[in-house]
Amino acid sequence: MAWNNVRRHNGAKRLGAKLLVSAGVLAAAGLVASPFDASVSTAERKKMLLQYCTACHNDKAKTANMSVLPLNPDNLGADNATWEKILRRLSLGEMPPKGMKRPPKEQLNDFVHWLEHSLDQRIAANPDPGRATVRRLNRTEYANAVRDLLAFDVDMSKDLPVDDTGYGFDNIADILTVSPTLMDRYINVAGKISRLATGQASRNPGTTDHKIEKDLFENAFGIASYNERASDLLPLDSRGGTAFKYYAPYDATYAIQVFLNSGTSTESEIDANNRYELRVPLKAGLRTIGVSFRRKMALNEELIPASTKGPRVPKATNVTLLPMDVQVDGARVKTLEVPSVALGPNVSQSFYLRDVMQVSVVGPYDIQGPGDTPSRRKIFTCRPASASSSAENACARQILGTLARQAYRRPVSSADINPLMKIYAEARKGSDFEHGISASVQAILVSPGFLFMTESDPRGSRPGAIHRIPALELATRLSLFLWSSIPDEELLAVAEKRKLSDPAVLKQQVSRMLADTRSKALTDNFAGQWLYLRRLEFQKPDRRAYPDFDVRLRSAMKTETEMFFAGVVRENRSVLDFLGADYTYLNQRLAEHYGIKGVNGTTFRKVQLEPALHRGGLMGQASVLTVTSYNNRTSVVLRGKWILENILAAPPPPPPPDIPALNEARNGKVMTVREQMEMHRKHPVCASCHTKMDPFGFSLENYDATGAWRSADAGKLLDVSATLPDGTNFDGPKGLRDVLMSRKDQFVEAFTERLMTYALARGVEAYDMPAVRLVRNAARDDGYRMHTVVMGIVQSVPFSMRRPPEK
Amino acid sequence: MIITRKTMDRRTMLRHVIYAPTGLMMASWTPAQAGENYTLSPILKPLEAHREKFMVVSNLDHAQAEALGDGAGDHGRCCGSYLTGAHVKKTEGADLASGVSMDQLVAQKYGEVTQIPSLELGLEQPSLAGSCDTGYSCAYTNTLSWSTPSTPLPVTTNPRAVFERLFGDGDSLDAASRLAQLRRQASILDFVADDAKRLSAGMSASDKRKLDEYMTSVRDIEKRIQKAEAAGGAAGSVTTFARPAGIPDDFQEHARMMIDLQVLSAQSDLTRVTTLMLAREVSGRSYPEIGVPDAHHPLSHHGNDPEKVAKLTKINTLHMKQIAYYIQRMSETKDGEASLLANPLLPAGASLADPNSHSHRNLPTIVAGGLVKGNRHLVAAKDTPMTNLMLSMMDMLDVRVDKLGDSTGRLPGFASVA
Repeated sequence: MAWNNVRRHNGAKRLGAKLLVSAGVLAAAGLVASPFDASVSTAERKKMLLQYCTACHNDKAKTANMSVLPLNPDNLGADNATWEKILRRLSLGEMPPKGMKRPPKEQLNDFVHWLEHSLDQRIAANPDPGRATVRRLNRTEYANAVRDLLAFDVDMSKDLPVDDTGYGFDNIADILTVSPTLMDRYINVAGKISRLATGQASRNPGTTDHKIEKDLFENAFGIASYNERASDLLPLDSRGGTAFKYYAPYDATYAIQVFLNSGTSTESEIDANNRYELRVPLKAGLRTIGVSFRRKMALNEELIPASTKGPRVPKATNVTLLPMDVQVDGARVKTLEVPSVALGPNVSQSFYLRDVMQVSVVGPYDIQGPGDTPSRRKIFTCRPASASSSAENACARQILGTLARQAYRRPVSSADINPLMKIYAEARKGSDFEHGISASVQAILVSPGFLFMTESDPRGSRPGAIHRIPALELATRLSLFLWSSIPDEELLAVAEKRKLSDPAVLKQQVSRMLADTRSKALTDNFAGQWLYLRRLEFQKPDRRAYPDFDVRLRSAMKTETEMFFAGVVRENRSVLDFLGADYTYLNQRLAEHYGIKGVNGTTFRKVQLEPALHRGGLMGQASVLTVTSYNNRTSVVLRGKWILENILAAPPPPPPPDIPALNEARNGKVMTVREQMEMHRKHPVCASCHTKMDPFGFSLENYDATGAWRSADAGKLLDVSATLPDGTNFDGPKGLRDVLMSRKDQFVEAFTERLMTYALARGVEAYDMPAVRLVRNAARDDGYRMHTVVMGIVQSVPFSMRRPPEK
Repeated sequence: MIITRKTMDRRTMLRHVIYAPTGLMMASWTPAQAGENYTLSPILKPLEAHREKFMVVSNLDHAQAEALGDGAGDHGRCCGSYLTGAHVKKTEGADLASGVSMDQLVAQKYGEVTQIPSLELGLEQPSLAGSCDTGYSCAYTNTLSWSTPSTPLPVTTNPRAVFERLFGDGDSLDAASRLAQLRRQASILDFVADDAKRLSAGMSASDKRKLDEYMTSVRDIEKRIQKAEAAGGAAGSVTTFARPAGIPDDFQEHARMMIDLQVLSAQSDLTRVTTLMLAREVSGRSYPEIGVPDAHHPLSHHGNDPEKVAKLTKINTLHMKQIAYYIQRMSETKDGEASLLANPLLPAGASLADPNSHSHRNLPTIVAGGLVKGNRHLVAAKDTPMTNLMLSMMDMLDVRVDKLGDSTGRLPGFASVA
């Protein structure tokens, strides 16, 4: 939360800015907040501050860098950020702190309502959309834009450097810089994409490796494999193996090489001795390749324990052969017979089932042609009518004009097309039409018109004079927000016809976009970062403490939370589901982890939850509980901090330096986490923050560092009671849920702030808070539905308007 | 990546390491005599033709690879300490701790002038994370290079990936295709620069600054292309080399391909620091092509069984053959008037002596390259740390470091350059 840091915003400069907007936008409807006593004068308001706040917040002590003495209730704009901070602390009940003089409850609430109303009213009269910097596409947005522009669904984002993050997200305009390294990579990647998409890739065979994510190698045992279906893309009765997407550059023959585990103690699992190969014809384009075994229904009789003593000569045993199926695009193309155990001179022993470690595809061989791929169809919207250069030029102009329009998100003219034609012509020389086109496509992909989202201001507009964002630019903001991509044809057309300013049309487009599969980007990119899901792959729970934590569990945890979030979006459910819900999404592995019976199979499905199961809502999901833990123990502080940051939008300041590690034992006695945390309560310097964080963490102690339920820790029964600074007592996850539900407006505000940060690609500032509150009120009036929150953000001043920057 | 053909400074420093795992049969390694014109031992025989270009050094230890109270796990320790001289932390988890390795210290200096700071190459795929030697994470046996005490640099085993890292997406390096690629890039950059100018015309000052970053980066690349184009037609261009398809099945073919890439990287000055692991420490690879179908590591626990010892010696000799190939290729490749071998320092060897006892003393080591006086066997004083040799080598490369791991000073007798 940008403005929560000690910073001042001078709203005074913006007072008196000329408005270019219709008053209708500034719907006063949302301003009908809670009632307050209008007869109380501002002088009395100031008196209240002096009475209860100046013990600490005076000019001398300046606690938290703030003094209330210079504040003037008649001129909130002069200290906007400070007033917003005051509002936040008061509404949370954090100030005045326990032990200090407090006003009577009604008086405090009255003050809060007055303050909120006044701040909102001030902004309503002087809207401030904030600063909007020109913004580059981050690598995810780049990959999606390429997918939608060229119908080319190969994820090249791994070839681009990782983007820096700010405010918790990697799409923040100010943070996304351009460096020579990045430029170099863009040109490289654009070249690869343009060649593959047009069907001009290298004709030399190359190898693409698909490594399967596996559990850690266990010395002398090998790598675990399981008797269950490995992917929804594999046959129902299969076990093991893998399914993955491979982009075949040509209609040609390809060699599929399958590397099996050698199941021995020779750590090198990928070698030619355990490789099985077949050649298949593949059509150009994105193919799904699958390899799998058949599910074992009977006891495993192939395991041949061999003695490790004595001569290491392979016994002349009859090793059973297993059928291994290979599928392309869901249809089986071949079944190979492979030994059920690795045959080697040393060991013929297998602790784990025969399984696949890696699949490589080598090719193309015997190229037939570039094929009829979706990207070739999308790019070549015409073919030259004849072999003459004028016919070719005409068709090239048409192709490039169509692509440029969608790539640049606006109508294009010859000023845009002529330079592209120049590149086409140069590349065409000595080669052919398609080669020329591919060079121009590469140029489009590195041009600033594609890479940057630029916004314009009306000619002659004065700095400070806000205006509505033009339809085409709004369309780009929308598609980046909801799809992390460029607008599609329908959205572009609606914007070009200037229909997007009609609220009904805007609403309809937003609903359409949320229903579209491309809105998966919200789950992947917004939820993935808001909920720290991207950190899950880096968590390494200690193998001795959590021996059951395997690749399947890690993946299942992530899927549960992703499906949960996506479900709220898709079904337009209340965002309060995030705090507590009576359902979740499980598969067998995850259900076992939670101790829930009756869920069979690897596929995920929606499951109704009984309260006795202790699950439901984000705080009961293993993913969140795991990323807020250490490798070998839970962290009350990490979990508390996560809740403060992401649920209540009240992040604690950073800790002071040089804090010693926890004492796990004192006087030879192993202490519980609670006992170790005593210091947080005892020392006032620690207490100021930890009394806010720790209670939340304590209430979640029943979930261990991988999110499994437990009743005891360090041999003692867990004490999951907690007390907040304002005196509220609660107990365990159910108590936590009740406490959070009682602060649901605050949660909705926090959620809106996070989502707005993502939507605006900048930190949310103090002057944005009234807009946030407008969205919260709208949501409150509509059952807190997700689409209402999204729509509220889309229609908000910061999202739909723009302030021309100082020249 | 575009090959920049700049005239190399006559004393351009190169630092390549070639590493053989799991120890060597010392009886067949250590030359009987010390000093000049010694007789080459059986394992060193493949290097006969190049005896002027390398020296053998004996009696170097890695005392920090001993258990020192940590129990089993000699392989994890010896590999992690080979270029660092550090006693690595016994852990299978995320808290790896070694030291900064010698090659990275050199890369810190020379990496600033080359496009790629260093290359870590291998012929055996790194094991998936887990435990590879009792209590030691696979990260320790997967690589020799550590850029910080907690950051191991993984090796690349796919020659195609190495090629693409060095030379980008092109299919081959012949002059015609290179020039074509350069021209296409140049014209795209022209277009892009014009477009950016148009765009920034209507922008505010702060937005212009953002776009400025973009334009500066574009100009940066344009300059590189111009330099490359100017040099592109000049004589002595890089050998034509086709992009490898993937990892060859045959060990020697794979080794040669990687060594070719090492040579190529030096020739084009894309990097001056490379390390090549002929196999992972604790390698389980077998070599049926030379009559050794057994896995390497189990074999290395030979228990003095003559049959096993013979097989191990065969493997060691095969590894030495690859080093001979390196020396040969570097000698034949021209760099200005001299050969590439005039400049580099190639320490090669293993981090274990006798593998059966996991000995960390008197490690088999040679140093090749134009900067050393070849054709001699230098026997250091007993208990000399290997890191002393490394300090002396770094001196030669103009990388002044006071201490590396457990070093106690320089190695006397080493620095006598022809």
